Amino acid sequence: MNNERFQVITPNHTNYRNLVRGLTKEIWPEFMLHDAVANELWHELLDRFAEYQLALYDIQNNRVAAMGNSFPLRWDEPLENLPEGGWDWAFLKAVRNHKQGVVPNIHCAIQIIVRPDYQGLGLSALAIEAVRSVTKSRGFQLLIIPIRPSEKHKYPLTSLDDYINWKTEKGLPFDAWLRVHLRVGAKIIKVCHESKTIRGTRAEWGKWTEMRFPQNGQYIIDGALNPMEMNIEKDEGVYIEPNVWIMHEVG
Amino acid sequence: MTPDRFQVIHPKDLIDYRDRAGDIGEASWPEFMMHDSIANEHWHELFDRFSEYQFGLLNTETNRMAAMGNSLPFRWDDDISALPEGGWDWVFVKAIEDHKNKVTPNIQSAIQIAIHPDYQSQGLSIRMVQAMREIGQSKGFKYLVAPVRPNQKSKYPLISIDDYIQWTNDEGLPFDAWLRVHARAGAKIIKPCHEAMIIRGTRAEWERWTGMKFPQSDMYIIPGALNPMQMNVEKDEGVYIEPNVWLVHQIEE
Repeated sequence: MNNERFQVITPNHTNYRNLVRGLTKEIWPEFMLHDAVANELWHELLDRFAEYQLALYDIQNNRVAAMGNSFPLRWDEPLENLPEGGWDWAFLKAVRNHKQGVVPNIHCAIQIIVRPDYQGLGLSALAIEAVRSVTKSRGFQLLIIPIRPSEKHKYPLTSLDDYINWKTEKGLPFDAWLRVHLRVGAKIIKVCHESKTIRGTRAEWGKWTEMRFPQNGQYIIDGALNPMEMNIEKDEGVYIEPNVWIMHEVG
Repeated sequence: MTPDRFQVIHPKDLIDYRDRAGDIGEASWPEFMMHDSIANEHWHELFDRFSEYQFGLLNTETNRMAAMGNSLPFRWDDDISALPEGGWDWVFVKAIEDHKNKVTPNIQSAIQIAIHPDYQSQGLSIRMVQAMREIGQSKGFKYLVAPVRPNQKSKYPLISIDDYIQWTNDEGLPFDAWLRVHARAGAKIIKPCHEAMIIRGTRAEWERWTGMKFPQSDMYIIPGALNPMQMNVEKDEGVYIEPNVWLVHQIEE
């Protein structure tokens, strides 16, 4: 891969918003786009934390190939105490800290994605490196991330606590995305079991998944890391996504 | 669609019938489904003992086989509501035993209707069900039963089959497409058979069959399986128990 081909761009780039538009939708299963916290706060990334957003721009094809989204927040306790709330918690916390003028002391990434037609080129490591550069340039020591293990969805009945201990024959993490992070020096802190909570009516889940939910029970959803629980009487399906808190020591 | 280009053929009609039928099976089923030990031990008996109960649909324009149907006769004197949980595996063994013991059969069981993926959604399934019934009719049987695999159950592996078969669509027909084909052809659901097939393999075999890994004892969701598979790492054995649904078609009034 020719690294000259991919340049880091930020929202300062005049066309940034257009270039990254729709990228998230290409990556995630539809139901993942219905996390209430994400939908309420997404605009804050550009309103409050623009200098923490970046993309890898393919200068040969004038397209964005990867994106990294992050923000700073304040965390004074040991990393082992990071909450179960993971992704949703971090987003709310960063926005609250910023509103209250609290000085941040840690960098948190919430999304590092590579466009499907650019996968397999090693861009994920390049995107992680770009996010780590932000950690450094902003003067932070630590980058934390509630990451979504990329292959857990094939093992929805296995607890994530067990899954993160699975190894390849070479002793590396079984999960490809965990492996990419650990190769560049990240460490696993622990699982956050309620990183995202996605709620929808039966009709909404039907639309998101093209499945039917005629009765109460647990359902296996394509792309979900755990089963989803449908409650017909309440007309509500709830999916609680577990992630893994990892940390990169950068400074 | 011109269904007339499809002609019902039997093993005696084509010298390479078994190879061609085998290709349809391989194209139709997930790999792990090819490892039911009863099926693998006894498949040849379909041709050795029950050849006239096997058939295919030949596309006469291309000379390709588009679908195959397999069935066998057996003896059943109880009420059909008493058909056993063992479903598919049971009926295959029973038919062979009856034949060996020269017991006169009085009922037909279908054990497979497979349509090559290239020929699906062309209305061939109903044609296959019809051809299956005609065999039973020619033998003078009153009933055609079948331990049927509800195809779309694989998307709902955590729902019990007892519940699943009661799901209906807006027209009041079964939710499951394959159960619906049978229902439209007049079949009635008898009951689930919870242990219709038992597929056992070592961890290495399951990994080869599925492209997955099974690092710990646990339940696993297998693409194409109707229920989770249970892996026991200490015993080096994964067991998948497939539930099916006993259906009955009344052949004669």
